[in-house]
Amino acid sequence: MRYLVGYTADARGAEAIALAAALGGPAAHLDIAMVLPEDTPFSATYPGSDHGYSSILADQVDAWAKEALNLVPAGPTARVVARAVSSPAAGLIAMAKETGARAIVLGGRKRHVAGFFVPGSVASSLLHASPFPVAMSTPGAVASLERAGGKLSRITAFVGTRPGARAVVQAAATAASNQELALRVVSLVAQDHATAGSAEAAGSIERTRAAAAAIVEELGLSAEITVASGTGIDDAIAELDWVDGEIAVVGSSRLARKRRLFLGTTAQRMLRTLPVPLVVVPKNHKPETARS
Amino acid sequence: MSRDTATESRATPAAESGLGDKGLSKGTVGVLGAVVIGVSCIAPAYTLTAALGPTVAEVGTQLPAIFLAGFLPMLLVALGYRELNSAMPDSGTSFTWATRAFGPWIGWMGGWGLIAATIIVLSNLAAVAVDFFYLLIAQLTGNDAIAELTRNLWVNIPTTLVFIAAACWISYRGMQTTKAFQYALVAFQLVVLTWFAVAAFSHVNNGTAFDPTPIALDWFNPMAVHSFGAFAAGVSLSIFIFWGWDVTLTMNEETTNPAKVPGRAATLTILIIMGIYMVISLAVISYAGIGETGLGAGNPENQESIFAVLAGPIMGPFAILMSLAILSSSAASLQSTLVSPARTILAMGYYKALPERFGKVSPRFMSPSTATITAGSAAAVFYVVTRLLSENALWDTITALGLMICFYYGVTALACVWYFRREAFDTVRGFFFKFLAPLVGGVILLVMFASTARDSMDPDYGSGSNIAGLGMVFILGMGVLVLGVAVMLYMRIRQPGFFKGETLKRML
Repeated sequence: MRYLVGYTADARGAEAIALAAALGGPAAHLDIAMVLPEDTPFSATYPGSDHGYSSILADQVDAWAKEALNLVPAGPTARVVARAVSSPAAGLIAMAKETGARAIVLGGRKRHVAGFFVPGSVASSLLHASPFPVAMSTPGAVASLERAGGKLSRITAFVGTRPGARAVVQAAATAASNQELALRVVSLVAQDHATAGSAEAAGSIERTRAAAAAIVEELGLSAEITVASGTGIDDAIAELDWVDGEIAVVGSSRLARKRRLFLGTTAQRMLRTLPVPLVVVPKNHKPETARS
Repeated sequence: MSRDTATESRATPAAESGLGDKGLSKGTVGVLGAVVIGVSCIAPAYTLTAALGPTVAEVGTQLPAIFLAGFLPMLLVALGYRELNSAMPDSGTSFTWATRAFGPWIGWMGGWGLIAATIIVLSNLAAVAVDFFYLLIAQLTGNDAIAELTRNLWVNIPTTLVFIAAACWISYRGMQTTKAFQYALVAFQLVVLTWFAVAAFSHVNNGTAFDPTPIALDWFNPMAVHSFGAFAAGVSLSIFIFWGWDVTLTMNEETTNPAKVPGRAATLTILIIMGIYMVISLAVISYAGIGETGLGAGNPENQESIFAVLAGPIMGPFAILMSLAILSSSAASLQSTLVSPARTILAMGYYKALPERFGKVSPRFMSPSTATITAGSAAAVFYVVTRLLSENALWDTITALGLMICFYYGVTALACVWYFRREAFDTVRGFFFKFLAPLVGGVILLVMFASTARDSMDPDYGSGSNIAGLGMVFILGMGVLVLGVAVMLYMRIRQPGFFKGETLKRML
């Protein structure tokens, strides 16, 4: 199983490697990708010549490659690929295609807007265009992985009541069975203040639970099913309990083209508040079955 | 087991990075593309508006002659540059070339000269961009008072700092100019400059010119310049207007045919540029004369930026196109010029000629981080100091810039001669390109440098600003060089490794 790690030589890159190693387990192979800006002759510097920049950059990239390989924990194999590309997101997608990666793994960004985590520009483009699942972590999520010794413990699939939930559960189940992990299927129900606690609300929770159970049964899986409700998505998420080493899986927005990612508004909110790493799965994604 | 793969790839990441052949740009640029790159590096709309006035102040009607003469040392030095670039393609900068040829001390000062020259031109570019920014708004709104805002230091200095900061940010993010943008920018500049010249000549024909001056043959005769000092000053100014042309010559693997494209593109570029410079200088002098009053090109009031003054009377309502052309070309140059000092500072940090933190590369944007911010801040400080000290900051910075270019081009040219001293006499071609051309070019530039430096001590030199009877241009130019010597001595004490040849070896 190969994972493509979008690496930058900073804390985020280290987080990405930690996440990829945990996702893949000891049998994984990590392709650690460093993207460099493409050197177009039309941005010629004035006055001329590259001022020795490309050789200095090459040395620096070599040094970073060594650091990156040292970050890989015992178990997975790894190599570093550095490539000049015109757009980092497009470059990562192309490299993932070439290497046959199961997922693109990114580090979190240590920048918080009003206390929330926001994805960086490369992550944003990937989350709206990638044909591969994209795994992302925040510093807090990586801390939870570390407490679990860098190993996964449970996989939680987030499903809605709309079509498409099946593919997400399937993707999560495949990942879970690959590493023999527990599976949990979670549905979020947001209620407004007026209906909270009413019979109508209880009914909606029941219907949601039944829909999730139907999917699990249809796929022949055994999974814990949880419905979290609250007065808004953030509230509902706050109701959930998490174990160290857990990861969450969500699907793409219905706006996504087939087999492409498009991070929906709910997933975007989840990305900001989840205490665990998040994997976003493209629409109509067909995960490979476990290979020995 | 797992570590084997890791170790294996440890040795070869660069092989996969494609850095050896500079990414994906191989073999993509034809003659037209290379000409566009060359013209955009020269940025004729900007260089003319900045240098035409100060040059007329030195040499009067012999402006075309000086432009022609100024090209000669540029050509000779660029030929040497091309040889150095193909001999040491990985290190292409004055700093490394001069260090390898002459050792650390001269190499250090060569690098400093390049940094200083680019920092000075950055501050000038930003200032020109700001002038035309307000002029453009004034023309758009029809409110002339807005154009005057640029004379208010409380408006001018903060706006200029914003422009420099924006260029800094773009460079730091590693954003690059696209092909379409460059083509559009260059075509627009050439069209507007031609328009300006045609309009000026038709005013002369119709008898509506400010001071119609009939073109005379001796405008093209450099011998007619009244003194050697004026000649030297004129040449050191006109070096500036060809600065950037060498880019076309040093292009190599990015062209579709390295054997033919660079030479043809360089020739075509210089023909276009020379054509534009000749037509514009003839048009300006025919229309405005070299008088020191009103619209005259010799009027000290007009030295800062000749097109800001003349475009209105000559082009009428279409003067707004000139403002747009100069604003866009100077803003684009501001960004592309910032890359040069940043990379040279990075190289000096990397080879430990400056503190190591200057050698830092941003892991996200793969651009020189500390070095870019340092270069931008230095340009900002230089601008504020000059603006506050000088009555006519743009004029003085352009003159000081000419000095600095002569210095580091001269040093680099002689580095070429010295570097190739053993092999230069093996072939006739080698003798000419590796020895004669750079030697003559380098000596001419250093003579211009010495002559202009001596003359600039005169308090009346340039705009006439002075401190304690010493000319402002001399203080700016020499101050920057003396500061360089001081920093160099400090680095020698703090971090002697570079000066002992531990990081960058002199090739004996």
